Amino acid sequence: MTGAAYALGVGAALWRRALLEIARVRGGLLPTIIAPIIFLLGTAGQFDRLSDLSDFPTSSYLAWILPLSCLQGAGFAGGAVGANLARDIEQGWFDRLLTSPAPRPLLLLGPVLAAMTRALLPTTVILTAGLVLGVSLTGDLYGLLALYVAAVGFAVVAALWGMTLALWARSQQVGPLIQNGVFLAVFLSTAYTPEVLLQGWLATFAPYNPTTYVLELARQATVAGIEPSWANTWPGLLALAGMGLLWGLVALRLLRRFSR
Amino acid sequence: MSASRQDAIVVEGLARAYGGLRAVDGVDLTVAEGEIYGFLGPNGAGKSTTVRILTTLLRPTAGRALVAGHDVEREAAAVRRVIGVALQEAALDPLMTGRELLQLQGALHGLRRGAARERGEALLDRVALQDAADRRLGTYSGGMRRRLDLAMALVHEPRVLFLDEPTTGLDPSSRATLWDEVRRLNDDGTTVFLTTQYLEEAEQLADRVGIIDQGRIVAEGTPDELKARVGDPVLHVDLIDPADAERAAGALAAHGAIRRRGDCGVLVQSALGARAIAPIVRTLDEAGVEVDAVELETPTLDDVFLAVTGHAATAEDAPA
Repeated sequence: MTGAAYALGVGAALWRRALLEIARVRGGLLPTIIAPIIFLLGTAGQFDRLSDLSDFPTSSYLAWILPLSCLQGAGFAGGAVGANLARDIEQGWFDRLLTSPAPRPLLLLGPVLAAMTRALLPTTVILTAGLVLGVSLTGDLYGLLALYVAAVGFAVVAALWGMTLALWARSQQVGPLIQNGVFLAVFLSTAYTPEVLLQGWLATFAPYNPTTYVLELARQATVAGIEPSWANTWPGLLALAGMGLLWGLVALRLLRRFSR
Repeated sequence: MSASRQDAIVVEGLARAYGGLRAVDGVDLTVAEGEIYGFLGPNGAGKSTTVRILTTLLRPTAGRALVAGHDVEREAAAVRRVIGVALQEAALDPLMTGRELLQLQGALHGLRRGAARERGEALLDRVALQDAADRRLGTYSGGMRRRLDLAMALVHEPRVLFLDEPTTGLDPSSRATLWDEVRRLNDDGTTVFLTTQYLEEAEQLADRVGIIDQGRIVAEGTPDELKARVGDPVLHVDLIDPADAERAAGALAAHGAIRRRGDCGVLVQSALGARAIAPIVRTLDEAGVEVDAVELETPTLDDVFLAVTGHAATAEDAPA
């Protein structure tokens, strides 16, 4: 078997294993859907009139907050992959993988692929909920694609962040910290209002938070004032690549040091 | 350090420290190809730490180890290709079925899908789990999980198999089944490194035994060699008439060291063991001494353990 075929076989096998959990743990993905939908409804209800402000790029606050909820769901789905790795480490399953000859990066590839797949469900359900509530896809197909790229990419980043913490702590106790990280990344950004309307320390911090640009990428789908364009796309892609690279490298480094 | 062609495992000066605690403290051992090596010691003696080093899960803080001729630190990937590992806790995904787990293990070891399926079926037959193959692991008993764990360790036909306390917590029947399987594997030529806290298990399975205590190997040899270190077997001769005891002791002096036990008992310590029974009975018959019973007491690894460590090999869950 060639190296590429072997890598593909290992990645696919670990991906399949991670996906079995979705099929066999009924309701396992529900928290990644329900919490963001509650957030969506609650926030849209409370802050609906914010979109009346002159600098707001859409007349629908629901359209503004919907991509955020999609990212939130995708992020939680990705973070859960990290929490599952912590469980595997604690329960000894990961030792089985480590005693196999599979190259170490492949041991992370399977869960990353699983995170990408898992993210599709909450993203689609939350998006559908938003459309049912009256949000329009102002960005057409390009915007929709941008939203999915942002969600799946954010799930990968969250999975790598989660796996980094899992490899560092080697304990399931790290689970809440993983999700808190996702939560903070999302909310310390332009989550509620555009950058021009932010005040105080958050106005200073949000431009430095890469998630701000990932949100910009996603909002091309539903926010009329953020038109689908390369100028609105590349910063989000760069942010995803940067965060993915950072947490991917840290996770790999921790994995290499795992047996020390 | 050089490994002979026949050596499956060579360990020299192996140590692993956690802060100030030396879990493994200068272990030297050699396991020949095709041998079952029993690594015996109580909880916390350093058995599992040694196995984790030999299976590349943990790096040593000193010393070196070769497995199938490959250095566990510098050639870890090569080591992983030739070893099979069943660790202390059979870590199996409870959501997966036995068949799925075997196929996953096959993929991890580079078997093509068809080959992995074929090998998985053969192993399911071998460990008698074909009927349960499509059940989730959550429904398996402890014995079934251990058997599946063993099957998973064999998917890629490893040269060296590491079994870390494979029967801990199993009932006697499951334990006997697993022992039979280990013997069969060894008959097929697989080298087995078996850690256990059960003296009986080491005695039943191992060609050679290393006793580890507080991170150091304190005795090593075949079970018979080790038992010989604590003395020859003792024959307990019970007489019918206490008045014959003196005469019996005198007559039996030629067969070994004599001690008296109670009014009617004479103990004869003889290197011949069971082979001394017939001559002893004959001698007593010729001396006109009537014998009630003769019992042979051979030293056990328990005695060896006690002699070399100064404490008993305590196991919370000793085999029945």
